[in-house]
Amino acid sequence: MSASLSKSRLQGLGTTIRHRCQQLLGPLALLGPAGIWLLLFLVLPTLLILDISLVPDLRPEDVGGAYGLGNYSRVFNPFDPRFDSVYLQVIWRSVYYATVSTIACLVLGFPVAYWLAIMAPRRWRNFLVVAFILPLWTSSLLRSYAWISILRPTGLLNTFITWLSDLIPGVDLPTQNWLYSSAAVFVGLTYNFLPYMVLILYASLEKLDISLLEAAADLGANPRQTFWKVTVPQTLPGIAAGCLLVFITSMGDFVVPTLLGGASSMTISRLIYNQFLGITRNWGLGSALSMILILAVSLAIALLLKYGDRDSVKEA
Amino acid sequence: MPRKRSLYLPSSSRRLGSTRRRFLQGSAAAIAGVTLSNCRQNLSNQAAPEADPAATTPEEGGASGGDSGVLHVYTWADYTSDEMVNAFTEKTGIEVIVDIYDSNETMLAKMQAGGGDAYSIIYPSDYMVQQMIELNMLTKIDKERVTGLENIFDKWQDPVYDPGNSFSTPFAWGTTGLLYNTDILTDTPTDWDYLWENSSALSKRMTLLNDVRETMGMVLKSLGYSYNSTNPAEIEEAYERLIEIKPDLASFMSFGYEDGLLSGDLAVVMAYSVDALSSIAEDDTLNYVIPESGSSVWTDTLVIPTTAPNVDAAYEWLNFNLDPAIAQLNTETLFNATPNKVAYENLSDEFKNDEKLFPPEDLLAKCEGIAPVGDAAAVFDEFWTRATSA
Repeated sequence: MSASLSKSRLQGLGTTIRHRCQQLLGPLALLGPAGIWLLLFLVLPTLLILDISLVPDLRPEDVGGAYGLGNYSRVFNPFDPRFDSVYLQVIWRSVYYATVSTIACLVLGFPVAYWLAIMAPRRWRNFLVVAFILPLWTSSLLRSYAWISILRPTGLLNTFITWLSDLIPGVDLPTQNWLYSSAAVFVGLTYNFLPYMVLILYASLEKLDISLLEAAADLGANPRQTFWKVTVPQTLPGIAAGCLLVFITSMGDFVVPTLLGGASSMTISRLIYNQFLGITRNWGLGSALSMILILAVSLAIALLLKYGDRDSVKEA
Repeated sequence: MPRKRSLYLPSSSRRLGSTRRRFLQGSAAAIAGVTLSNCRQNLSNQAAPEADPAATTPEEGGASGGDSGVLHVYTWADYTSDEMVNAFTEKTGIEVIVDIYDSNETMLAKMQAGGGDAYSIIYPSDYMVQQMIELNMLTKIDKERVTGLENIFDKWQDPVYDPGNSFSTPFAWGTTGLLYNTDILTDTPTDWDYLWENSSALSKRMTLLNDVRETMGMVLKSLGYSYNSTNPAEIEEAYERLIEIKPDLASFMSFGYEDGLLSGDLAVVMAYSVDALSSIAEDDTLNYVIPESGSSVWTDTLVIPTTAPNVDAAYEWLNFNLDPAIAQLNTETLFNATPNKVAYENLSDEFKNDEKLFPPEDLLAKCEGIAPVGDAAAVFDEFWTRATSA
């Protein structure tokens, strides 16, 4: 009796172990390929960049070199004899471009997302959303180049403005000269990242409980109060997610400032490019600047995970 | 009133050819450069050719370039023509694959990162040849396998960048100057000072090359200093002078200016003669001038990297390009000045007397070749970063 009992117990134990193994095997098989991919092509390269960034002024032909914080102190430490405030200026400009284009995306994107999620006819909704992300199907290089032909002094926009001025007698509309200035960078970045903002806000607004808006109206709130007290607080995680995503991507963007920014729009991504492909070939400093960008972006992603609406990001 | 010409008007369609392609290729090359893998391993591998001369054997190279019937060429945009490549394939049976780069530095970075192992022929400029020799990246040329070097002008028989042409053969030369739209500029620019004197009138309608050495060198020259100054005080003075006109510059660009120049959005750009002359050939409202105080004179060469997988085909390419008939074809179709004496003499008078292509000796005497500046490169870069950031 006791023998059969222990036998069944053993059997039970065997099944449990097998069960546990199966439980482990599933996730392992599912996560393995992606995990190896991330390890090989994200974690290891990032560690290599970190490694190179810790060798002051490393050039590609140098074999190794003494470790030190020289590259970082050159950027941040005002007491370093090699300190040059130009690097901080460049980082500041990147942050400034990213901030302005994030705000522009939010201001332009929120009404669109609101209309799509709440006011647009239901059967048209998917079609409209697809139409909105359609521009993402072309290369961002081509989209930036298209902006050159729109914004240049004899380009599409000025031709249109002149045509409009001629059409309305007595009105002389001013033409723009935005190409190769910060304005063109803002336009380019906002245009490029607006679809992301709209998608995330749409996903967030779609979940909005309409009955709450109706309840607010029934209780005497005017539309403005309803918007600020009910709609915005409920979609705040979506707003945070959209803003951070746009901020992160525009912070590291290379194409737009390079093609549209002209002579004065050095950003951190262009500076990194110059360190690797310029005359100094200072891969050490370039890697340090890359690490600074990676850390800034990681910080933003950490904030996104903590405060953002993860569901909307996933749905988008 | 400038003619209105732009992308969306059909009148410009005939120009969509080489410039647009070059612009897109250049941009794509620039962006691809950012994604360069910066592996530390590759850094240390760079010392390998020094320690291990066997690395030059054909078996060593990348698999894609190892095929004896394929020659991978890494060159500037519009430095080869279909006509010339087809003639080569017909003659030798070797298939040619051409990749392009937009600056010497981009090419060097790619080669150093190990991304250029497939290439058996590269086209570095003079100062880059010198730098690559110092980095042990070039194969010494076996003179017994090369024919036709005697046809090269004496000037290039023993060039400063590569004494005795031990590692390179001269391919083409040219200058750097000002390309402008004659419909817009009522007067003719004659010197670099023109940019400073007319900066407010031409505000946001001028561009300079996105090339540290050329642009900083030009300002140094306009101050009466050398392109190759290593004196930090002189370089700083050049920087101060550069930022005087910076608010009036549209951009620093080495390619992609032609459309703007023809539409009148740009009035005058700093350009390499080879690009300027091919633009003029497409539209004669443009003109090119070599500033009278002198400019840079550059030589682009053919070299075989130590990593070349197909050295035999590389020699075939060298000899093919030393053929006077081919050198003549290159000058006639690609607008680069040939260093080949026989080819030069066979050119029609129209080409020979074109002072934009072959400047007179007294002007050339004032021009300078760009040479490596050693540690002063850091000073150049520092002021260049400031100039482009301010």
